[in-house]
Amino acid sequence: MKYFTYILRNVRRNPIRSMLTIASMSISLFLMMILLSFFAMNDESTSAARIYNRIVVMNANGFAGMLPISDLAQIREMDGVLAATPFSWYGGKYKDEQMPFAQFGIDADTIFTILDEYTVPKDQLEDFKKNKDGCIIGRKLAEDRNLKVGDPLPLKGDLFPVDLDLSIRGIYDGDINRDLRMCFFHWEYFDEALKRTAMAGASSTSLAGDSGRRSGNAGTIFVKCKSADVMAPLSSKIDDHFRNSDNPTRTQTEEAFGKMFVEMMGDLKNTIYWIGGAVVISLLFVAGNAMAMAMRERTTEVAVLKAIGFGKPLVLFLILAEAVIVAGLGGVLGSLGCKALCDFVDVARYSGGFLPFFYVPWNIALTGLAVSFFIGLASGLAPALLAANSSVINGLRKVV
Amino acid sequence: MSQTASIELQGVDKEYRRDDFKIPVLTGLDLTVAEGEFLALMGPSGSGKTTLLNLIAGLDRSTRGKVIVHGQDLGDLSEAEITRWRAHNVGFIFQTYNLIPVLTAFENVELPLLLTSLSKRKRRDNVMTALKVVGLKDREHHYPRQLSGGQEQRVAIARAIVTDPYLLVADEPTGDLDRTSAGEILDLLEQLNQEFQKTILMVTHDPLAAERASRTLHLDKGQLVDDKVREARVPAAS
Ligand SMILES: Nc1ncnc2c1ncn2[C@@H]1O[C@H](COP(=O)(O)OP(=O)(O)OP(=O)(O)O)[C@@H](O)[C@H]1O
Ligand SMILES: [Mg+2]
Repeated sequence: MKYFTYILRNVRRNPIRSMLTIASMSISLFLMMILLSFFAMNDESTSAARIYNRIVVMNANGFAGMLPISDLAQIREMDGVLAATPFSWYGGKYKDEQMPFAQFGIDADTIFTILDEYTVPKDQLEDFKKNKDGCIIGRKLAEDRNLKVGDPLPLKGDLFPVDLDLSIRGIYDGDINRDLRMCFFHWEYFDEALKRTAMAGASSTSLAGDSGRRSGNAGTIFVKCKSADVMAPLSSKIDDHFRNSDNPTRTQTEEAFGKMFVEMMGDLKNTIYWIGGAVVISLLFVAGNAMAMAMRERTTEVAVLKAIGFGKPLVLFLILAEAVIVAGLGGVLGSLGCKALCDFVDVARYSGGFLPFFYVPWNIALTGLAVSFFIGLASGLAPALLAANSSVINGLRKVV
Repeated sequence: MSQTASIELQGVDKEYRRDDFKIPVLTGLDLTVAEGEFLALMGPSGSGKTTLLNLIAGLDRSTRGKVIVHGQDLGDLSEAEITRWRAHNVGFIFQTYNLIPVLTAFENVELPLLLTSLSKRKRRDNVMTALKVVGLKDREHHYPRQLSGGQEQRVAIARAIVTDPYLLVADEPTGDLDRTSAGEILDLLEQLNQEFQKTILMVTHDPLAAERASRTLHLDKGQLVDDKVREARVPAAS
């Protein structure tokens, strides 16, 4: 590109102004990337769950309802089921942390057959199976809190009137876009603790009406299907099977199950899109103003170029290219930079437990980049058209 | 060989409009310039010298009358066509040099060649030739701010001649220069006229500058009032 030198020199002509434009572009896009990624990432990781052929059974009335543990055996008998585990949220507090990390009572024999995207060393898994008070935690959870195999993990009951004194028997690992901050312990260990409190009569009055918090509750049941095609028929079969029981069920794919949580934040999502729109518009003004200032200073120069024989389309192109480069540099720094940073630094760690994992999906980063190019084009258009159509003789007459 | 008409103006009027107000600048102008002439255009400020130059160089259009340059009636060309025509046929030299400050001497001179389909290598050859003609071969990497006024003007002249146009227009090319530098610029223009047979149209306020031309025209109140042919300096017919 023979005009590239001239375009680049123009970008660098007023370095402070270009840098300020690039900085405001990149900072705003950086923040936008974080906000948008939060939803996109949730969507993407729940959609990604599709490939694991898992379905989730819960009480038809939601999480407060009971899903008897006896359902588990019946589900395991059904055709198309590879494995099934209870999956019961505990939500205990670790030390003085306000936000509980994810802890689930599960079946030690099947959990890693079902969540087969995670890996655990064999000896650790065996050790976990043998120890009733054992637990397996994610690598990032271990790193955040400096926990090792063999360490105790005392959890204080919050939703449930029991404390669990767990000991860490293994650490699981997996892709960085999967949740590496969960804790799995024996469902039976949890249930026995609940039985003991029930027998002692402690707190039983306060929990009388809340069947979901009594012993014998599987919470939810995660089922690994033998193939993708059985997921839908199996889901209906399970729901049909329990329709006339005391606790009818609702079974859906893990993807749909995950989306329920995302949808709970629906309004927030819209608000964030509005904020994103406002940011784009204000960036248009910032970049447009910088470009207009640049062109005002170059009135004579543009006239000289046109006198020499540079046609309107070429002048238009030169200015638009300059605007796109400035905005695009901000876009590269803001969106790709944000992605690189989030891939490199574990942002979730600093969210105080609010986010189990965080990354900027490619489609969001590329959208950010495209937005910056659009801002470049749109902000450069008015100054470029003005310059391309400006009068040569007036531009030359202007005293500099 | 008889002189072919290089520039021909027939009954040219030029008026500017400001709101409903017409300001006549040139009225019923006739002019014939032969190929290879070095013409000086003088006249009081506001007499329309720049306006006339702009008409001939294809930067502006006459209100009435014909402007024919090198056989081309400029009135027949669309805006895009006349822009292309300028790129091929006219070299511009301005009082304030008007080099692009962010480009080196080399890159400034190369600018008009970017519009052609010449290879990078060929462009380089042509730029270096032009810089050699103006005596600034060793300054190709200098930016305009690193050059003296006289040197800047010489780079501007190199830019004007690099595409080998046959008409050079210069609007007070020595107006911002000291005597010595002005003399060098005039030497150069004279050389371009005599050695390279360029037709040159130069506006000037300086009678000494006008001395160098083969003919001097005086413009006053919209009319060419005086036309002195200096017999001694008729251009060599080619
Ligand atoms: N774009 C324009 N609009 C209105 N009037 C104009 C315009 N350009 C030039 N004029 C007027 O036309 C007249 C001639 O201007 P021109 O610049 O051609 O004079 P000049 O002989 O070159 O003067 P100088 O020696 O000061 O450069 C002046 O009165 C000027 O005010
Ligand atoms: Mg003038």
